[in-house]
Amino acid sequence: MAATRNLALAFVVPAMALLGLILGWPLFSAFLLSLQDVRSVGTEGQWVGLANYTKLLADGAVWRALGMSVAWVVANGILQTALALAAALVLNQKFAGVRIARTWIILTWIVPTVIVVIIWRWLFSTSGGMINPLLMQAGLIERPVGFFSTPWSAFATLVFINSWRWFPFIALMLLAGMTRIPADLYEAARIDGAGAWKRFTRITWPLLKPTLSVLAVVGTLLSFNVFDIIWLLTAGGPAGGTTTLPILIYETAFKGYRLSEAAALSVIATFVLVAFALVTARSMHRDEGRT
Amino acid sequence: MNRSARSTILLLAAGIALLILVALPFWWVVTGSVKAPQEIISRAPTFFPHSFTLDHYLRLLARSAYATYVGNSLIVAGASTLLTLLLAVPAAYAFFRLEFAGRETLYRIILLAYAFPSIVVLIPLFGMFAKLGVIDTLPALIVINVAFALPFSIWMLRSFFAEVPKDIEEAAIMDGAGPVTVLRRIMMPLIAPGIASVGVFAFITSWTEYVFASVLIISDAKRTVPVGFSGMIGQYQIDWGLLLAGAGLAILPVVILFAFVGRWFVSGLTEGAVK
Repeated sequence: MAATRNLALAFVVPAMALLGLILGWPLFSAFLLSLQDVRSVGTEGQWVGLANYTKLLADGAVWRALGMSVAWVVANGILQTALALAAALVLNQKFAGVRIARTWIILTWIVPTVIVVIIWRWLFSTSGGMINPLLMQAGLIERPVGFFSTPWSAFATLVFINSWRWFPFIALMLLAGMTRIPADLYEAARIDGAGAWKRFTRITWPLLKPTLSVLAVVGTLLSFNVFDIIWLLTAGGPAGGTTTLPILIYETAFKGYRLSEAAALSVIATFVLVAFALVTARSMHRDEGRT
Repeated sequence: MNRSARSTILLLAAGIALLILVALPFWWVVTGSVKAPQEIISRAPTFFPHSFTLDHYLRLLARSAYATYVGNSLIVAGASTLLTLLLAVPAAYAFFRLEFAGRETLYRIILLAYAFPSIVVLIPLFGMFAKLGVIDTLPALIVINVAFALPFSIWMLRSFFAEVPKDIEEAAIMDGAGPVTVLRRIMMPLIAPGIASVGVFAFITSWTEYVFASVLIISDAKRTVPVGFSGMIGQYQIDWGLLLAGAGLAILPVVILFAFVGRWFVSGLTEGAVK
């Protein structure tokens, strides 16, 4: 038995060691770095205690980025989930080609983000893009719109593009939850004369709720982390209109050469995420206890 | 109109909307990449190309190091996939099939690591790798990709291990097989679909990784596809023909890969989620 235990550890330790080396240790050294005043990689700094934190917490740009991150997470959460739910409902039906659809829907998620960026920059562009002419033909706009030219429209466009990339992934997770719902529940409801809408609100939605709340947590963390789509499309602009916390961290470290401040921002971001995860995990636990 | 006809029409409409949303952008990009320049920027977009040219692709291959980028990406994604499997399969076996002290705690740590913000460790890792002198090397990227793919991979394997009946394992142990033999001879063949989907997952996350590759790789000759192409966006501003050809060529390898293993991957993804 002792031999088995040692072997089990031998199986687990390499994976844990790598996670410790690439995630755990850097997180700790980010904390150490945040207590110093290092400006660029390779230079030495003085210990300054919590000075970086007091400075950052008094900085309006930090709060703006935090607010932007919250708006980003919420907007993506709503759009992604709505699209994913609709897609999962379609993919849960029986029709010719449903297997192919279930596989290839994830295409948006498996191509590199850079390609997602090229695709949508072109489609939304004012010279040759498809979206402006389509909207003009439909009579919704009179002349081409610069989708990335005002802070608000850039933000909304980015939310759409990011949700487009992620919704199939979430749809497949929801589909997995739906296929677990027993078919006889729907059969019984149909015999009782319940319509499609009623079957959705009374059966699908309540039974899907556990899956949805897990996805809400995971999706929030994943959306919060999104960096490349924003960076490559707007680099946080225009006028800071799309500067989320990850963008601000990157700018502070690699454009502003204030490494220690960026590290302090990373620590703040980690705190916010961990607090969020703990609070939602606890409330999910409570909900489970109630039902 | 009766109810079933109405719901069929509704399903059809929703299905078509879904098809448009997912497939149409790809259609436009792939067809756009063979259109003549003036058709690409035309005010009246065409659904089927009216012109045909491979000029954008030829220019792209002549002017950029596309082959180098793809080669680097294949090395990085291939090595990351192998290493992820090498670490994730034994770890998952231990987590889901063996008893040992601290199992629950360690598994929780793995789950926590799953949604870890990469930007948080970017700065310290950069410093760490600079000290080690491994900036601008592909192994640096491989190690990072494996670390970020591991937690989800272990989690994905959970349901596959759970499906293997206990008695098969017990019979083998009765016959005197140790855990290593059980894993290699009994578990691995039975969870092959799970291994395949984890492999695809690791490959795709490494193939698409941008943030670390953009900071840790400096020379053009070592760039991966995402970073190589992002360099082109700025370099040839608004040369859409070139960028669309680039997009076409970058989509191609994943589409080929997915044509073979896509079904397994998707079922692995959904199997993992339900349990």
